[in-house]
Amino acid sequence: MQGLYAVFRKELCDHFSSYRFVILFAVIAMVSFITSYVVGIHMRQNLEALSNTKFPFLMLFSTTGTLFSMVQFVAFFGPLIGLVLGFDSINRERAHGTLIKLISQPIYRDAVINGKFLAGVVTISIMLLSIVLVITGFGLAIVGVVPGIEEIWRLTVYLVISIFYVSLWLGVSILFSILFRSIATSALASVALWIFLSFFVSLGADVVANTVAPVNQQNAANPEAVLRNTRIKESVGLCSPMVLYSRATATIIDPMRKTNRAIVLMGPMEELLASRFQNPLPLSQSLIVVFPHTTALIAITLICFAISYTVFMMQEIRT
Amino acid sequence: MRLRGNGSLLSVPMVFLVAALLIAGPVSPALGAEKAKKDLPERSITVASEYTGVVLAQGDEASIDLIVTNGGRRNENVNLKVISYPKDWKVWIKTYSYRVTGVHVKSDKSKSLTLRVEPPKKTRPGQYNIGIQAQTDDRRLTSTCQVGITIKGKKEEVKSEGVNIITSYPVLRGPTDAKFEFSLEVESKLEKDTIFNLTAQGPKDWDINFKPAYEDKYISSLRLKANQSQTVAVEVKPFPLAKPGKYPIVVKVSSSQAKGEARLTLVLTGTYKLDVGTPNGLLSLEAIRGKKANLSFFVKNSGSAPLNNVQFLSLKPENWKVEFKPERLEALEPGGLKQIEVSILPTEEALVGDYSVGINVNAGKVSKSLEFRVTVRASTAWGWIGIGIIVLVVVGLVILFIRLGRR
Repeated sequence: MQGLYAVFRKELCDHFSSYRFVILFAVIAMVSFITSYVVGIHMRQNLEALSNTKFPFLMLFSTTGTLFSMVQFVAFFGPLIGLVLGFDSINRERAHGTLIKLISQPIYRDAVINGKFLAGVVTISIMLLSIVLVITGFGLAIVGVVPGIEEIWRLTVYLVISIFYVSLWLGVSILFSILFRSIATSALASVALWIFLSFFVSLGADVVANTVAPVNQQNAANPEAVLRNTRIKESVGLCSPMVLYSRATATIIDPMRKTNRAIVLMGPMEELLASRFQNPLPLSQSLIVVFPHTTALIAITLICFAISYTVFMMQEIRT
Repeated sequence: MRLRGNGSLLSVPMVFLVAALLIAGPVSPALGAEKAKKDLPERSITVASEYTGVVLAQGDEASIDLIVTNGGRRNENVNLKVISYPKDWKVWIKTYSYRVTGVHVKSDKSKSLTLRVEPPKKTRPGQYNIGIQAQTDDRRLTSTCQVGITIKGKKEEVKSEGVNIITSYPVLRGPTDAKFEFSLEVESKLEKDTIFNLTAQGPKDWDINFKPAYEDKYISSLRLKANQSQTVAVEVKPFPLAKPGKYPIVVKVSSSQAKGEARLTLVLTGTYKLDVGTPNGLLSLEAIRGKKANLSFFVKNSGSAPLNNVQFLSLKPENWKVEFKPERLEALEPGGLKQIEVSILPTEEALVGDYSVGINVNAGKVSKSLEFRVTVRASTAWGWIGIGIIVLVVVGLVILFIRLGRR
């Protein structure tokens, strides 16, 4: 435990003092400032939307404004934080020859990887928390709405899911830094994987869905066909952690959302009767709705770390 | 030629006839008049009543025409006097507007006057005589006449003399809590404007009011011009707790001279009233999608008529199942209470959140609706599976730590 704490503390120092972190944080801070400002202005101009919702504070995070919302921003670029923090964590030590020196200290080998991962997670948590707090502060100042208990809980859950999401990419980049000796290779590999999973999977989902259950002119009016196409698209899209994350946070941050599907088949009566009571979901129900996605996200994060742990522990590192 | 011959043969006497008529026509009446005038006595007056016998109902008044005729060649001033009449009666002679004591009648002309007879209200039935005397100014000539007035008992008098009430629908039928409106046409047979009082007799605690037709105000009297008729509505609100059955209502229209009566009948079928609710008043329930949720509600017949064939309908989203047990009620007596079990089964695909499910209880004449808020919840089964997966992963990680750690 002694060794773990030492490595963790050292890593944290490294993270916070590195230029990389400063630049990254500057970018993120800037983006969150701009996002919250734009959203704040947008909300002030559309006050009727504010009066319609029971949770005006959450709108600060989910309203797109002119560019993108904070939720969307984390979904797209959050992985970059994880990647940047982890892509050279092991192979840099190895390249500089410091790993052997580290191991020769009275420190267990698992302390190294655990400490590095933990330090990354803590850094990510601090960054995300500060983004949320910045937006909260801006919201209080610009819009003047005070968050309620339920909103704070929802934000907390959102924050936890986001930390796991970014940590997933941290785990991926640490895995690559263990697998590849070259820093550049691991960086490229992790960025490539990120781009593939985030952007190409959704494209691929379209291709698969249109091949398996095409929607053409004959059956465009048939809701069943459209629904089947969308279902396939959604299932394939779930391969992407970004999709998982977006789905998982969608109902958390927007209590009025009652499903995480893109399209739901509803009869006219059902629509009418469902719109009779416009109540937001309680947090527990929102959680249950997105529970599969959240579970999957947390599980693959842990599994990813487990793989890198195993690989690192089994590896010959003295050479 | 023959025809022509015939015609000329006929025309000869015709010409004579026409000529004779032409000469005699204008001449003969002139000659007659002259002769009649000459035939008239120097002076002659008569007074006569148009009707020498009049039958009056007790309490009724009469106006009888008097004709004063001057049969002489001189114009005469005739003084008129009622010389005999029963005690306490009011009898006088008048024209349209004035009481008169004399009249000027030109030679060979006659004048009409009115003899007004007002017997006291309580005149006993019987035969009465009124004598009228006409006398010229110089009292040379006198003429008298007698008018016999028979007063008849009240019973016969009620025979809607003076006022007629006509009802097109004398019997109405409906539930106890309804408002009924009879339409009466009141027709005055009197010769003058009269104010009629409107009264109605119905069962105790009933609310009976008179209204002008198409107007929303209550009236208790009605002014009718001579020989005019008007429609009056009788609004009846039965006592809410009245038992079903037949109820008579007597409507009376009366004035000092006339009286009319109409019998109306109201047939009450009882009230149709239905109360629907849940035992504890709660109108919301939770349901897990794909699983039945049960609730019960009661149906109570709070009216006074039995309800037959009470059916239950539901307003629900598509693919949901709403079942009632029992499915329908054959009959529900007044005051009867029945509990109905409902099971609501949301589809697997139902969205989490609040739905409105309506239940309509339809008993033909009345129906009541209940709206339930059904909060659909997701089953927590998958949640536990998810937690299981995470626990499994964490356990795996711990095993890894133990197996590979401390190197």
